[in-house]
Amino acid sequence: MQRRVVITGCGVVTAAGNELESFWSTLMQGAACIRPLAAFAHAEMGQLSGAEVTLPPEDRLPPAIDADPLRARCLELGLAASRRAWAAAGLTSAAADAEKTGVCFGTTMGEERQVGDLSERRKAQPDAGVDASFFARANNHRLAAQVAASFGCGGPVLMTTTACSSGNAAVAHAFDAIRSGDADVMLAGGADVLTRLIYCGFQRMGVLSASICRPFDKSRDGVSFGEGAGAVVLESLEHARARDARVLAELAGYGMSNDAHHITAPGPHGEGFVRAVHQALAQAGLSLDQVSYVSAHGTGTPFNDKGESEAMLTLFGARAKQVPVSSIKSIIGHTNGAASAIETVACVLAIQHRAVPPTAGWRDPDPEFELDYVPGQGRPHPVDVCLNLAAGFGGHNVCLVLRRFS
Amino acid sequence: MTSAVAITGVSVFTPFGVGAEALAAALGAGRVAVEPAPELSEVGLARITDFDPLRHVSVRGMRVYPRATQLEICAAALALTDAGWSGEAALDPMELGLVTASSYSHLQTLVEYDRGLVSVGMQRTNPTLMPLGLPSAPGAATGLALSAKAFSITLNDGGASGLAALGLGAHAIRDGRARACVVAGAFTPFAELLESSLRAGLSASAERFRVLDREAEGVAFGEAAAALVLEPLEAALGRGRSPLGVLRAQATRFAPPGASLASALGRAVSAALSSARLGSAPAATAAISLACVGANGDPREDAAHLDALSSALGAAAEPVVIAAPKASLGEMLDPSGLVQAVVALGALRARRAPPIARLATARAPSPRHPTAPVELAPGAALLTAISPSRSCSALLLSLGGE
Repeated sequence: MQRRVVITGCGVVTAAGNELESFWSTLMQGAACIRPLAAFAHAEMGQLSGAEVTLPPEDRLPPAIDADPLRARCLELGLAASRRAWAAAGLTSAAADAEKTGVCFGTTMGEERQVGDLSERRKAQPDAGVDASFFARANNHRLAAQVAASFGCGGPVLMTTTACSSGNAAVAHAFDAIRSGDADVMLAGGADVLTRLIYCGFQRMGVLSASICRPFDKSRDGVSFGEGAGAVVLESLEHARARDARVLAELAGYGMSNDAHHITAPGPHGEGFVRAVHQALAQAGLSLDQVSYVSAHGTGTPFNDKGESEAMLTLFGARAKQVPVSSIKSIIGHTNGAASAIETVACVLAIQHRAVPPTAGWRDPDPEFELDYVPGQGRPHPVDVCLNLAAGFGGHNVCLVLRRFS
Repeated sequence: MTSAVAITGVSVFTPFGVGAEALAAALGAGRVAVEPAPELSEVGLARITDFDPLRHVSVRGMRVYPRATQLEICAAALALTDAGWSGEAALDPMELGLVTASSYSHLQTLVEYDRGLVSVGMQRTNPTLMPLGLPSAPGAATGLALSAKAFSITLNDGGASGLAALGLGAHAIRDGRARACVVAGAFTPFAELLESSLRAGLSASAERFRVLDREAEGVAFGEAAAALVLEPLEAALGRGRSPLGVLRAQATRFAPPGASLASALGRAVSAALSSARLGSAPAATAAISLACVGANGDPREDAAHLDALSSALGAAAEPVVIAAPKASLGEMLDPSGLVQAVVALGALRARRAPPIARLATARAPSPRHPTAPVELAPGAALLTAISPSRSCSALLLSLGGE
């Protein structure tokens, strides 16, 4: 008998807010937080826009962890979200059994800013060398390790990357660690930052939106980027009950698939999404008829949104128009490896509030796909079982199934 | 562990050549591949020479891929061939999964692409390079090359990635997420990493590099790639494959700053022993005949590997023979756990453990630290690894028939 896994704490740091109340409120209003970028500019691209996070002073990275917070921004965001999730779960370091408490995080780029910094220094001084900390920062596992160190965790500490589905993948591996009995508590999440390389790279590939992304809209033209982090505390049901913790939702299962189609383009017809959903529901012991909401990957690129919509039609058939499908990326931007972790938190809030957030910016239906993308603002909806879909460059698809706890 | 996971194919690329046999022969002879790094002579480096990916595998885009990705693709493809799944016998892509151990194999491409952005401008950069600089890119390219459609996951955990990836792959097999899973990794050292580790005081020169020695003073990096194919034991036997080994258990534990690495690694060993179900605790510890450790010349880590074995195995640690392939190959980071697995399987099968190269003054008395090949009693192998960010991993494997 495998153990049940529940969610007892959530935390986010996003452009839509750093606390759950403000985050949820901004999502429900459908208010886009994508604005002219303050962090950096690029001469060849003109004014950049993105969804930046403003952290309060208490979340700044202490020099004892990294003396150069600019080059450790990913860690700063990941720690900030983790602190919030940990506190929301009512855990203290002393309360947790260190041996049975672990961390699993995901990221797409990690501390890429230190690579950008190196390039700039080399431009100014061609023989500029790397410093002693480059090696340590280049190891993405440092993020998971620092989160673990912050809470005295001594259990499994893992770092995963499946590009933009990394957050979901991290939650999935944390789920496995608890379900198998290797851990009782896992803090799982994802974090990513805005970098010059991300903007330039996506611009060169032709997938950066010229304005603000419009997921699933007929005129969608690409992604808008954001930064941020999301984290959830997962526990075995027994552990949560033993400490009388408030259960926010149950993580019932997950599915994974790989398109193996192209290094950047998703597979045709959303076939990978379909396989991941079937696998996730099978593990959860649930059927498609029971799904009441889909948190879509919904990047705003023509290919992703087409494939995802095709997957919805394949999966739900005649019921497809009755299942709300929305993407919050037009509100907080595409936060890459953090995206699906933040969306996991949004799913928990959707269950808690019995409401679904909108796809902000969606105006004109794509005639091929007439689904309920929740236009305008969020609305009340009985969310009992939701799917959180994510996909990453290279074809990595991960689907989580969250359900109302009973 | 509810159902046994078999290892049915292996492949390894090291400076000693391609394949487990070439590696075993070189380790058995006590050879050391570490030489002064051409770009930074103060540090030791072991590099694969004469590598042409198209000699091993022909896949679309191979020439564009970075060297580490090419190495991973080749290792993964050869491991599948070794498992009997190639050509007309190829596995249904929907039934093949991939776990990649990779923390650094994308990084050189990322550095080069970003340097191009700054030096020649965005419009003159090659748009195909950027996606190859993502940390997930080596796994994505390998998944594409193998047509592994069940899943593709990448774990970043430095030197502990390989063992953790094997554990994750075994878990996926037991969960029925794939019929077979390739666990692969590759590492190609590059200038920025060598320079940074030298400045951090982590490196040793080629001349002074040694492992598990009282005189050990630092790490030398080594280039390598390896892959193992996992599948359910019953399924392997059912298709007439004689397993190369059985993956008994794997566990990872973390050492928070201030806590001892040896203690965390010892906890990982105990957790792996406990879930391996080799019998009672004394029986389980006594079943281990070989410890193939990830010791790399860092004095703290070397000591932690030995102390963890002593604390977790107690008196049963005494007859266990230590193997330390990094003494010959250098620190291979991501694939190192996979290389350790290949070395351990070969040693168990040959009933002979390789010596620890260049060992002069052992941290513990012989015969635990052989300076010449030694006979091995039948039993299981325990593998240990420590990552730069203090993650400690242990893995137990045995031969198929035991």
